[in-house]
Amino acid sequence: MDWAQLWHIVSLPDNLPIVALAVLVPFYAWYGLRQARKTDQLIGTLEANPEMAATHHRKVHPWQPAWAREVQVWPYLLRIEFLAAVIVTAVLLVWSITLDAPLEEPANPNHTMNPSKAPWYFVGLQEMLVYFDPWFAGVVLPTLIIIGLMAFPYIDANPLGVGYYTIRQRTVALASFGIGFLMWLTLIFIGTFIRGPGWMWFSPGRTWDHTRVVYETNRNLPDLFGITGPWGKAILGIIAVGAFYAVAGWASHKLVTRGSLNQKIYERTNLLQYATFQFFAITILAGLPAKMLLRLLFRIKYVLITPWVNI
Amino acid sequence: MARDVNPGADRQSTGPDPIVDKSLSGPLLIAAFVMFLALGWALYAELYGGRPWKNHQRRFVSLYTSYLKKLRPRQLAAEKAAFASPELQKLEEQLTAAERSAGPRLSEIDRQLTSIRHRLAILKEPFQDARAKIAALTYELEHATSANGKRSIRHDIEEAKKGPFRVALPPEDGKALIVPASLTFGELERRFAECKSREAQLIAQQNEVTSESRELRRKRNDYLSERLVGLTQQQIDGLLRKMNEFRVEIKQIHIEEAGLVERCESCHLGIREPVTMTAADMGGNPLFVSHPVKDLMAIHDPNRFGCSPCHNGNGLAVSSVRKAHGNYEHWLWPLFAKENTEAGCLQCHFKDRVLEHAPVLTRGRDLYELKGCAGCHRYEGVDRDADGVADVRKEIQNLQTRQKESRLEMDREIKNGDQANSNEEAQKHFARAENLRVTVSNIDAMIGELEQKSKFLMQDLKKIGPNLKDVRLKLRRNWLPVWLRDPHAFRPGTKMPKFRLTDDEIRAISAFIWQSGLDGPLPVPQAKGDAAKGKELFETRGCLACHSIGEGDQRIGGEFAANLSRLGEKANYDYIVRWVHNPRERTRPYCPHEKRDLGPEDYSRHGLPFVADPDHSSCPNDGSELQIQNMTVMPSLRLSTEESRDIATYLMGLKHEYAAYPADVSYMEDASLAARGKQMVGRYGCASCHEIKTLEEAPRIGTELTREGSKPMEQLDFGLLEHKARKEGWYSHRGFVERKLNDPAVYDQGREKAPEDRLRMPNVQLTQADSRALTTFLLGSVDSPFRGEFRAIPAQFRYLPTDQQRDLQEGWWVIKKYNCMGCHTIQVGQKSVLSALPRYQDPDWKEQLPPSLLQEAARTNPGWLARFLSNPALSEEDVHRNGVRTYLAARMPTFNFSPNEVRILVRFFEAAAGQPNPYIALKLEPLDERERLMSRALFSSQAAPCLKCHLTGDERHDRYATAPNFLMAKERLKPSWTARWMLDPQAISPGTAMPSGLFHRDGDRWTFAGPTPNVFKGYNGDHVQLLLRYMFELTPEEQRRLTRAVPTAPTAATRQSETVSSGVRSR
Repeated sequence: MDWAQLWHIVSLPDNLPIVALAVLVPFYAWYGLRQARKTDQLIGTLEANPEMAATHHRKVHPWQPAWAREVQVWPYLLRIEFLAAVIVTAVLLVWSITLDAPLEEPANPNHTMNPSKAPWYFVGLQEMLVYFDPWFAGVVLPTLIIIGLMAFPYIDANPLGVGYYTIRQRTVALASFGIGFLMWLTLIFIGTFIRGPGWMWFSPGRTWDHTRVVYETNRNLPDLFGITGPWGKAILGIIAVGAFYAVAGWASHKLVTRGSLNQKIYERTNLLQYATFQFFAITILAGLPAKMLLRLLFRIKYVLITPWVNI
Repeated sequence: MARDVNPGADRQSTGPDPIVDKSLSGPLLIAAFVMFLALGWALYAELYGGRPWKNHQRRFVSLYTSYLKKLRPRQLAAEKAAFASPELQKLEEQLTAAERSAGPRLSEIDRQLTSIRHRLAILKEPFQDARAKIAALTYELEHATSANGKRSIRHDIEEAKKGPFRVALPPEDGKALIVPASLTFGELERRFAECKSREAQLIAQQNEVTSESRELRRKRNDYLSERLVGLTQQQIDGLLRKMNEFRVEIKQIHIEEAGLVERCESCHLGIREPVTMTAADMGGNPLFVSHPVKDLMAIHDPNRFGCSPCHNGNGLAVSSVRKAHGNYEHWLWPLFAKENTEAGCLQCHFKDRVLEHAPVLTRGRDLYELKGCAGCHRYEGVDRDADGVADVRKEIQNLQTRQKESRLEMDREIKNGDQANSNEEAQKHFARAENLRVTVSNIDAMIGELEQKSKFLMQDLKKIGPNLKDVRLKLRRNWLPVWLRDPHAFRPGTKMPKFRLTDDEIRAISAFIWQSGLDGPLPVPQAKGDAAKGKELFETRGCLACHSIGEGDQRIGGEFAANLSRLGEKANYDYIVRWVHNPRERTRPYCPHEKRDLGPEDYSRHGLPFVADPDHSSCPNDGSELQIQNMTVMPSLRLSTEESRDIATYLMGLKHEYAAYPADVSYMEDASLAARGKQMVGRYGCASCHEIKTLEEAPRIGTELTREGSKPMEQLDFGLLEHKARKEGWYSHRGFVERKLNDPAVYDQGREKAPEDRLRMPNVQLTQADSRALTTFLLGSVDSPFRGEFRAIPAQFRYLPTDQQRDLQEGWWVIKKYNCMGCHTIQVGQKSVLSALPRYQDPDWKEQLPPSLLQEAARTNPGWLARFLSNPALSEEDVHRNGVRTYLAARMPTFNFSPNEVRILVRFFEAAAGQPNPYIALKLEPLDERERLMSRALFSSQAAPCLKCHLTGDERHDRYATAPNFLMAKERLKPSWTARWMLDPQAISPGTAMPSGLFHRDGDRWTFAGPTPNVFKGYNGDHVQLLLRYMFELTPEEQRRLTRAVPTAPTAATRQSETVSSGVRSR
């Protein structure tokens, strides 16, 4: 265990946001979920007591029967935001005093750095390059992610759960966002902490050695079946991809329609909305991790091989 | 306030609402406090924390001021003491007198000037205003298009000129009342011009009046600065004033053409101060010292060169020491460590062999050559002869190809001409063919030229180690494996490095070396000599300038060549005799074209005698230039055969009696072992330093080091030690080189490698100082453009010596190559190896030291010098002696320089003495009869016993003489130098036996200091010139006449000449 190496990575000014992320994301996730659970309890109470629901109560946690139903933005929200602003300003000040901008030596095109890493927010994208062709990882997938995020409001047929924390009223949305966010973070973490010189896989605590030699050969899926012809490869790829979409679509459908509330929401969704949702969910939330696992566990490079597109 | 939708609800039963009822004052207060602290911290960091130089500057001002104040009384006292001298008193008096006499006139001029300037000030404003207006109108006039317009503008100008301008001018005497005058522009202009010219007149007068006192003041200041060490009180006051007005700010140098911004002086404030300050002077703070080498700063003005181009480091950074010195990962050129500072010189002075101010760097270069690094590692400029030979050979090949092509082309043209349809066309073809014939002949000439060049280069081409083709003739067979195992055990300090060889490898290499050796012709068998005489000869002929002898503490002599203490254990007597007699004598000449050594059979085939010397240096088989001598720098000392035998006998007697050698070395005759040995010899690069049969053209095996210092860190192979190096802080070029030099195998540690893949570099065994010097040299070997635009050293920064400076540096290569400094003093302050030997500490022997060459070319005629260098005996027959100083036991050897090297050396000496080139001899007036008589008389007088010490050619006398023969003067010396030499030899060559003060000044001529013979009565000429002319006319007959006149007693040994000279010495 090379603690010095680990400390070196963790203490790089470049990586500070990610180290902070490792603490802050779980904390706020816990905090939000706690709120959501309490709201869910409140929802349960109100559903059980229609009289109470009809009269006085505050719809979000914390609440007590006698408390005001609504609270003014000024001063009750703004004073909290002000406090937050003061704390963040202080943190930023201290951060900028103690850590200099992580500039490096003058660029020399004859001698590039190794590993050459993108800024932390792009490291995930860079890590995706390991699993897909550049045009796919760099252009198609980010575009799909952005379009998917933009499309979300329009494919959401759920009228509940707006303006407060809840789990039970928004299981599908919560789960799909959670999976997507976690996946993105995972990519960033791998790119930052695990990828060393030559973008090789260094388990945490292993010395980053740029002279390290690894034996790693990748295969394509058709190779495993001994298929060599271009048609055969394309057909096998299309079958595999099609099968994946079919299986994942079925599983996703089962999950999305579980429970009576989800069933109701499903019934409110039209075909275009549902198809769009399924496409993005399968492609990004299932396809990406599936391809990563294929590559990391089975050393499979491409599934679908055509003269124009390799996936 | 919260809007209570359900007022009157059972409020009491519930707790307070955390959103509405809870006060946030506490958290807000704490957050505000934290924020306030952060803000304070930010302000501190902005003003002080990130700007440590502010405090440094304040500290410097206080420390420097107090230092100057301490210095002031001391300098004042020194100044007073200097003032006390009568000369200065006189100057001072003259100065006051001059000032006093000029006083009244000066104050009158001042008064007038004041009045004129007052008038000018009054006139200036209306005049300039009117002139500007008129100029603007004139512009309009010039650019107006219509005649009407022009007319009206002209009118405007006339109006403007009329004015009137009301000016209240005081009259010139200043007494009458001020009368406002009404003037036109013309009058105004005239008055203004009058005042201006009057002012100029007065200023000129003022200058004239003060010129005397100014001149005197300059004289006084010059006098003071000559006699005062350090600054004057006035200068110190100036510095104190500067400190008073000191502004705390970033001190920056900006050199635009280099793209350089340097802020080093924001902290290193004392670096350019005119006072010499040590850390102790500045309260123990090394930050504020002045630059330790002021001379260097004078040549390299920081305003032109900055700091970091020499020292490295990040000249821009001022936030911390670490950053400013560039000691962090991302600054690629961290400050050179103190012991390697001189590395910075090399990037601009890469062509200079010897740098006066950089002894460590120069030593590094010496070592690189001396230890044979260049054998394996190419370095631009080092080993120029080998590179030159390769270039010339390639060029000859190219030319030959071109010639062949031209010939073919010519034939084609002739054929085309023959077959041409028209006469005209045929003419064209024939003309072209004619041209080509000329080209072919030109190429012949060029090839001839190049062959001559290659002949000279091959003559100068040397190898670091001995010729291994001679092993069978020279060595004892069973010594070889012992030597290979550990050369340093047998001969500590040897150039031969220790290779990490296994027993098996040693056997294979020995077998190959032994079997590749030549069988003959064998050296002539020699009779035994006299070891005692040999020892004396060895110690006096000059062998010890290069070789050392004795072991451990007993070791004496130079480090340039081998220590000969155990020679008797390894060598063959006959061969050593031959070697001592003439080390350049080669067993068989080598033909680079056939790539083999030629034997008598090659010569007899062509009916030629087996002779290879400079006159017979071409191959009998193919006519190419042969290598006809051993490629050793060891010169011939022109010893007689008896002397060679004596020395060889002495050397062969040097051995350890108890040394044991393996008895059975029959494997050395095993041919299969030799085949493996050859591979290893090739792998270890033995042929880089040695001549080895079949491997003469072996390429260098190491990496080129010309740019080693700027190699990216990642390209330096630290092996498995990289992480250790990072942790321990030696992950740098310096760390890499130092460790590699001390243990060349260090980066193989822990690595799994096949034996043939292991690092091959042998252990050179350097002392710490040498390792430091070599490291400095390698660190400085950088490729400036590599540093990128940001740090490129502009071409004009580089030192590209021209003319004499270049001659000097060229010469240094040759001088270092042959170790001239072993015997001679060539640089001021340099001591030769011989002069440090115990024998030469004896005053009698001191005079036996070879001459100092500090001003050699000022003394000698360059043509003579060239002749002397090529043949120091100055004779073809009588060679077993020195040409000039026959009285010296040490002998100037014959180096067998090529004409190239002779030229380089002569030019070096000319440049070192600052002599104009070419040298045109001064014509001296011939003596008339009376003058000849006079000089003869003086020469032979008791007061000037010139012939007591100088050689005369008389056998009996010359045994005790310690100075050159006058007969040589005409050819050898320059008259101007000879005159200076006669006047004050001590000034030219301190410690010489030639007495100073032989002449004294008498009006505008020099006269002899002792009693002059009677014939001199009434002679008004210069005695020095007289003797000079006599000397340059001297003939052997005249000299014989002189010697007859002076009874040069054989007992008049050097001792006596000493007393004579001290008697005459006047100062």
